[in-house]
Amino acid sequence: MKRLSTLALTSIVALTAGVSAAQADKLTLYCSAQEDWCQLMARSFEDATGIDVNMTRKSSGETFAQIKAESSNPRGDVWWGGTGDPHLQAAEENLTMAYVSPMRDQLHDWAISQATSAGDKTIGIYSGALGYGYNTELLAANNLPEPSCWKDLLKPEYKGHVQMANPNSSGTAYTTLASMVQLFGEDEGFEFMKGLHANINQYTKSGSAPIRAAGRGENTIGIVFMHDAVKQAVSGFPVKVVAPCEGTGYEIGSMSIIDGARNEDEAKKFYDWALSTDAQNLALEVNAFQVPSNKGADTSPSAPDMSTITLIDYDFKTYGSSAERKRLLQKWDEDVSTLPQ
Amino acid sequence: MRNVSSETTAHPALIFWIVAGWVGFCLLPWYGVEDGFFSFEWLVDGYPFDEDYAPAAFLIGQGEKLWLTPLLIPLIISLFALGRKKSDPLYAKILIASGALGFGWLIAQGFGIGIRGYNYEWLTALFGDLGDRQFGMGYGALLLASAYLFLFTQGIAARGAINGDVFVVSAIGGVIVIVTVFVFFPIAKMLLAAFITEEGGYSASVFASKFFDDRLWGLGCLSGGRCGAAWNSLFLAITVGILTTVLGLVFALVVTRSGFRYKRALRALTVLPIITPPFVIGLALILLFGLSGSVTQFFADLFGVQPTRWLYGMPGVLIAQTLAFTPIAFLVLIGVVEGVSPSMEEAAQTLRANRWQTFRTVSLPLMRPGLANAFLLGFIESMADFGNPLVLGGNFDVLSTEIFFAIVGAQYDQGRAAVLAMVLLFFTLSAFYAQRMWLGKKSYTTVSGKGDAGVHPLMPNGLAIPVFIAAITWGLFTVVVYGMILYGSVVELWGVNNTLTFKHYVTAFSVRFEETGIRWTGAAWDSFWTTIYIAAAAAPLTAIVGLITAYLLTRQSFAGKNAFEFGTMLSFAIPGTVIGVSYILAFNVPPIEITGTGIILIVSFIFRNMPVGVRAGIASMSQLDKSLDESSLTLGANSWQTFRRVILPLLKPAILAALVYSFVRAMTAISAVIFLVSAEYDMATSYIIGRVENNDYGLAIAYSTTLIFVMLAAVGLLQLLVGRTQIGRRTQFGAKEQT
Amino acid sequence: MSETLIASKAAPVRFESVTKSFGRDVVAVDNIDLHVEAGKLVTLLGPSGCGKTTTLRMIAGLEMATSGRILIGDRDVTTLPATDRDVSMVFQSYALFPHMSVLENVSYGLTFSGFSKTETRDRALAGLELVGLKGFDARLPSELSGGQQQRVAVARALVLEPQVLLFDEPLSNLDAKLRRQVREDIRAIQQDLGLTVVYVTHDQEEALAVSDEIVVMRNASIAQIGTPRSLYDAPVDRFVADFIGEANILPCTIEGVADDMATISIEGYKHTLPARGLAPGEAKLAVRPSRLVIGAQDGFKAKIAKATYVGVRMEYTLEASFGSMFAVHDDVDTPLEVGSDVTVGFSQKGPVLLPEA
Repeated sequence: MKRLSTLALTSIVALTAGVSAAQADKLTLYCSAQEDWCQLMARSFEDATGIDVNMTRKSSGETFAQIKAESSNPRGDVWWGGTGDPHLQAAEENLTMAYVSPMRDQLHDWAISQATSAGDKTIGIYSGALGYGYNTELLAANNLPEPSCWKDLLKPEYKGHVQMANPNSSGTAYTTLASMVQLFGEDEGFEFMKGLHANINQYTKSGSAPIRAAGRGENTIGIVFMHDAVKQAVSGFPVKVVAPCEGTGYEIGSMSIIDGARNEDEAKKFYDWALSTDAQNLALEVNAFQVPSNKGADTSPSAPDMSTITLIDYDFKTYGSSAERKRLLQKWDEDVSTLPQ
Repeated sequence: MRNVSSETTAHPALIFWIVAGWVGFCLLPWYGVEDGFFSFEWLVDGYPFDEDYAPAAFLIGQGEKLWLTPLLIPLIISLFALGRKKSDPLYAKILIASGALGFGWLIAQGFGIGIRGYNYEWLTALFGDLGDRQFGMGYGALLLASAYLFLFTQGIAARGAINGDVFVVSAIGGVIVIVTVFVFFPIAKMLLAAFITEEGGYSASVFASKFFDDRLWGLGCLSGGRCGAAWNSLFLAITVGILTTVLGLVFALVVTRSGFRYKRALRALTVLPIITPPFVIGLALILLFGLSGSVTQFFADLFGVQPTRWLYGMPGVLIAQTLAFTPIAFLVLIGVVEGVSPSMEEAAQTLRANRWQTFRTVSLPLMRPGLANAFLLGFIESMADFGNPLVLGGNFDVLSTEIFFAIVGAQYDQGRAAVLAMVLLFFTLSAFYAQRMWLGKKSYTTVSGKGDAGVHPLMPNGLAIPVFIAAITWGLFTVVVYGMILYGSVVELWGVNNTLTFKHYVTAFSVRFEETGIRWTGAAWDSFWTTIYIAAAAAPLTAIVGLITAYLLTRQSFAGKNAFEFGTMLSFAIPGTVIGVSYILAFNVPPIEITGTGIILIVSFIFRNMPVGVRAGIASMSQLDKSLDESSLTLGANSWQTFRRVILPLLKPAILAALVYSFVRAMTAISAVIFLVSAEYDMATSYIIGRVENNDYGLAIAYSTTLIFVMLAAVGLLQLLVGRTQIGRRTQFGAKEQT
Repeated sequence: MSETLIASKAAPVRFESVTKSFGRDVVAVDNIDLHVEAGKLVTLLGPSGCGKTTTLRMIAGLEMATSGRILIGDRDVTTLPATDRDVSMVFQSYALFPHMSVLENVSYGLTFSGFSKTETRDRALAGLELVGLKGFDARLPSELSGGQQQRVAVARALVLEPQVLLFDEPLSNLDAKLRRQVREDIRAIQQDLGLTVVYVTHDQEEALAVSDEIVVMRNASIAQIGTPRSLYDAPVDRFVADFIGEANILPCTIEGVADDMATISIEGYKHTLPARGLAPGEAKLAVRPSRLVIGAQDGFKAKIAKATYVGVRMEYTLEASFGSMFAVHDDVDTPLEVGSDVTVGFSQKGPVLLPEA
């Protein structure tokens, strides 16, 4: 088939220099959380079990695309981290397999409901509430009032100061859209999005980009998950986190075992381990400020205090389905994104 | 044929490929070895009887995989060619039959039988359930396939095709096969996705609805709104193409036709952007010109105006791309500008043309092939660029990012990605044809075998002044941008906390010395070494494939040459994102199963970067008079010897360009890589993006800075290794021999 | 028609103490004085590296003199660039512009010389006709043979009616037969139009055939200037004698000088010839091969060492006691045996004393 013969020989000798000799148990982990968290999880699992972990970190969208593309011959074993929607989508398309972990009784209800809504093909590992953050210096420089509610963002003085991701490309932004629809009702929710549209300076591609831009002083207010905003503040950027007064939606970071995994047993071992308090406490070491799904796991003092945030009863099953997603996105495309700014 | 003995005894190439075929069939593991062929673990792990490692002959002998048996027949047929004369008509017939049969059956069984038995329902219907399956082919199959291919080409050559030149026919055959396998096959698989409905069927209306989309073709920007991604991309690419070509020419002129003192520094500067990992230039530009950028703040304070976000959108992307792609234009143009024969320019001067007229009527027209190539490269690069629009695009949507987010975004719409890719492809191919039309059939050959004695005139003053201003402005700008990058890697938190620190370098590249040796404890080492391996492996392969292709295109004529050229340029016109996904689609399943390996990365780099080698080779070769290799041929050398002894040495600049470019691109590419990296083979760029996403700007920039220095060293080393071609000419400032 | 359109504005060229050095160490042309008369064809002849091409390029304005003065006509052009000199040049590689048609190539210089469009075209066509390339105007240079390309190059230079026309080894890329024809054509055009031509070559036969005057150069300076005949018949030194045609350099003794005529003797053989200012004593004698008379009644003894039949004549290598020499003989029908002894004399005119020691 391929005439690499002469070509490939030389190059592959170089490549395989790094191939390990030991034939141990191994696990291929697709990780969609932040890099250092992924690294820490992989190394800690190796230390705990002696199973070799091959870890690749990609965003949840990319990972989903990869798993889908590889579906006829899966390479990965377990997919850990990333917002819940693509996990639900994967479950819907039978790309992941059902598994009921013995660790379930230690988990919060929201984590288990994520599993039951997907036929046990995924499970919650952490959650994060939606909100926004603003750059205190820029806010002061522009003499703007401090916002504290969703509807504050509609005020005309914020024109050109608000950033959010494009719901077409970002799960975060889709969660925002779905949350507004659930919080205010569909009609009022879309009115809110239209009002917001007038103040938006850019729809970014990536979900956390608005708050990163705010951190660097390239933008004033970014609508993101609060733990992303906290991260900016902890990193030293002048960012203040806001939990909107009307209440807010949230995501459930999830984990799934890939259907047809080559190392199914190891994948299950990882699955159980990742739900343990020990594994979930690792988040604190890498400034991950999400709320862990194990009831016994510690929460960071810097993390947004979930008890003070009004959370809506987010309907993951409905709003995670592709039909509803498609409908909302299309409506947003037609009614909101085409409006003049 | 010159060698009289070859008339009677078998040609060495024939013996070689027949032996190779038998080795592939009888000795090497037929299927892919999961733990890596070159670990040679399979040798001690049940070889040759274990099903996973067994050669085809042993599999058949044990009564397994019996569909491989027919492969033996053509191998035996080929033996009858031995001992026959080349002029014997049977010789050609035997080889063609053997090659075609063997190759055909290899493909048929590979596609027919997959990991779930028969791949097609009708096969199952016809033969019943197979009850067996097979995985991806391995080195045994690879070697046998190559053997069949080259037996076939030798047969064709023996029939008198291309003057019976075995090297040329084999090279054409080889390039066609690898381009088909690694370019057309995955792209076809990807594009089919444009017609797939949600239910999995095929429908043209799905395509139409995605194609006639306002987000793609909207013209709102003419009336104050937003334009579609297609128009944005097109406008951006044309502008970038023109700007990079002009700037590339400016630098080439300064370096070759001026007494400018700091040429070397300028040359180094122009190379810098090309060796910079993606995102870094964008970040530096944001820090300079963004809302809170130092330059923006300075002017805002100075004039008392409100800082704006002007950078985000078309202006930012334009600046970043021009900065990034000018060096490519420069690399293409420097060879062409140097290649214009000085006597042409001297002749014009003695014909009363002043320096400006000489430049306009002679030098510039003779540089046309180079200008056209530079523009084409700038255009295509801009079309396919992914990193810069991602960071600086704002609301300015372009096709490449749209494709990426159609695949990885919340849409998960592969069909839309495929449609966008088709539009992109249409644009780049149109540019390709426009370039060919413009060059026409005129001759631009200026270096001939006749000794030229002369020097390039200096630039006319009217030209020199703007050229110097442009070059120096650009040079200073580049220095500032890179100064920012270097600075960013040694401060605590870029833009916020400016305390100097080396902690980012320590985090990334710390090492510990222990009794057992060095332990690479830094976070970046894994991806760093992988990147170096992959880049070092891909660069020479890219150069080889590219230059052989260029040689075939400029020096040989054969049926279907235009289609051949189109095919070799195709992969360049396709954005890496699409290549990435299409490779996963095509190479995740047998018969070629290479996802998750380093090979897939190398292959993707070879075919993404090959067109640069081809272009550089063509540009240089079309300036070398054909009489040079004809003279070599008449001196008794065959095509291969001519290529190696005559063309290759004269092509050193092109080789260098191809090597440098592919090495560097392998280290800085991102769009295709992001899909193809695996746990074992993670690349530097995908690691860096992870850090950027995670706010670790310091680490990301420190890593990028390190990569820049590594690449600088590599480029310098390549310069030394390849050396520079000396064309016997007077120089401006000192004469060598005179006639 | 062509004669009326293309005329000559021939002007003399004068070099006054011109030196050209490259960098600090390489002196390509060392303090030469040279005068080329208007309407004459002067050849610069010499071995590789003697500075002849540099001299030519200085006339063209492609190299600038390091010191000294260069005049074309009455104008001091020492510091003028090529563009502003009324000089055109035919290059060794022809340097035809590959992207222009033949007509465009020939018109090229005219478009910068203030001619109207129609006049440019008429002149260019006349130029092509002059070199015998009528009807080739639409071709590209790559579609022409080497000889035709050469003519285009000549036409391109001619149509500008330059004060001086320069040729840099114009025949070196042509085959031998074509070479003879083209050089005759060049000479004919030069004489018809009365052009001032400076011509560089390293081929002495070519130089002898076309030149009014030849400048023999050696080591960056001029060895001798003269008409072809005077150079051939009266070389000033061994270098010139050997470079212009072949010459046998023989030792001899001047026995007496009277009325500027010297009587020399070689092994007792006596011959009288112009003394060229030499006094009695040892001297060197240059004799062309054709001026050696084999089988003369009076002469010195020699032995036939080698005999070669070349068609129109016989060539012999002779061994005498003082060295070997090369001679030719028209009698091809009764060749002399190798090894036979002969008496060798000089023809009446031909041998020449070399003034140098």
